[in-house]
Amino acid sequence: MASKEFSLMRESWSMLLTYITALILVFVLTIHLLLESPLTGVPLEATLTFGYATGNLMYYKVVFGLLLFAAVIHGINGLRVIAIEWLHPRKKAWLVNLLAVVLIGFFLALGSYTLIAVT
Amino acid sequence: MAKTSRFKSGLISSLIPFGFNVERWGYVIHRVTGVILIGYLAAHLFETFQLSMGPGAWANTMSALHSLGPLEMVGLWLVAGSALYHGANGIRLVLNEVFGILMGKPIMPVYPYSPTSLGRNQKLAVWTITAVVLVLWLWAGLYLLAGLGVI
Amino acid sequence: MALDKLVLEVLRSGGKKARYELKFRKGMTVLDALVEVRERQDPSLAYRHSCRMGICGSCGMNIQGIPRLACQTQVSSLGKDVVKVEPLHGMSVIKDLVVDIDPFLSMHTFVKPYLIREDLAERDGSDREYRVLSDEVARFLQFDYCIMCALCYSACPTVALDPDYLGPQAMAQAYRYMADPRDEGWDARINLLDRAHGVWRCHVAGSCSFVCPKDVDPAKAIQMARVEVLKKRVLRRTAKAGSPLVNPAPAGAAKQGTRAPPFDFKEGGRG
Repeated sequence: MASKEFSLMRESWSMLLTYITALILVFVLTIHLLLESPLTGVPLEATLTFGYATGNLMYYKVVFGLLLFAAVIHGINGLRVIAIEWLHPRKKAWLVNLLAVVLIGFFLALGSYTLIAVT
Repeated sequence: MAKTSRFKSGLISSLIPFGFNVERWGYVIHRVTGVILIGYLAAHLFETFQLSMGPGAWANTMSALHSLGPLEMVGLWLVAGSALYHGANGIRLVLNEVFGILMGKPIMPVYPYSPTSLGRNQKLAVWTITAVVLVLWLWAGLYLLAGLGVI
Repeated sequence: MALDKLVLEVLRSGGKKARYELKFRKGMTVLDALVEVRERQDPSLAYRHSCRMGICGSCGMNIQGIPRLACQTQVSSLGKDVVKVEPLHGMSVIKDLVVDIDPFLSMHTFVKPYLIREDLAERDGSDREYRVLSDEVARFLQFDYCIMCALCYSACPTVALDPDYLGPQAMAQAYRYMADPRDEGWDARINLLDRAHGVWRCHVAGSCSFVCPKDVDPAKAIQMARVEVLKKRVLRRTAKAGSPLVNPAPAGAAKQGTRAPPFDFKEGGRG
């Protein structure tokens, strides 16, 4: 029997967020990957140097910020969906949702620190 | 008579698509690539975090990665393929799930049955995605090999 | 494929595989083979069956790795002389090929698979009928053909993973009633579907539609149900009133005993 629900937001809004971040990701990730080397013509080895990597982060902060936000939300929500299905926690569903929010917060913080610290 | 636990259920059973439709294979690959990408996302965020620790930390991270040898590029190639497939198939899933596109309209079933949700349009989308992803994945492989100096 | 002999390999209770050799007859279904085994070789073999013509949904089982109706599966169509039969996956086994369908049925009752009307006195005490036009019927008739065989439920990868998942059959039936113009339970069903183990756990694997013996196409119904959920949550659509009662003999209707006009499927027909 379907279990009682304990959630921070309706499942439909959570999934809409997943769909929207998915579409943002496809677009922004393509830009990110093309900017790394194929479009610029810079050799792959050169793109891994400290100067090049930090330069990219400095110039394209908005792109990377959007990428970080979309990737973390989409990814962690996907992990939450797998956890809900695999573990099917009945009374502890709120715990899975809370862990997802904590993980999102942690990775957003980690990525944001990198973006802000690199100047 | 006593009942047993659910027969052939669980994570492994849900990921076995043999004998089923091609969209089922798509589901399995989408899930597996999603997990690969989450793992890569976490690793990549920790890796790029080293940039904020200074050139020394970055150099150590890079040398640790390069010490993996060709495994580094193979790993990147797998991640590239995962991202390509997950993204492209994801677009098809957004069309299916949010807008109900490619599903067809309700019909009067007539034998021999052919569900419209698995019909020509859906198959066209699945195979087009597969073809595009394979071509781009091959290109990504060649690009990474060129980066290694192999070609 | 020319078959002379057939080997039926059945997974019995306790995990042991029993092999039964039979003489193949033209037109033999897997159910025919099971009946023959039970009658002549092993009367302890347990399985469900009833109509033997693909309408009751009792004989669902896993044949050559895919959920099928045994009465609708010709042995010759399987292309092998060893036919492997197992109980339906994702369900508890009671004995041999008999599985516990209570969880499946409970999901079905959960979605309120009946017409909901606000005015119960009108519903229960009327001497007239609710109006349903041909094009309105076409919107849900396909999903009404469900025989509750549980093949889709067994084939679904999310059901394999999550026993709390509503399952394709329940959600397809929920949509069947949401699309029915007579029904006034649209809001109630949206809330039943918009849950952590509801419509959002469908990932369009499509195996439900692949195995459905009646072309109910539950995958399509589920996506259509999802669109309805989004219409309410995002577009803030509200439910329409249910169909009104109409005189049972509208003007121009065919007289009793005369040939009624054919059902017009053109608008919702295959195309």
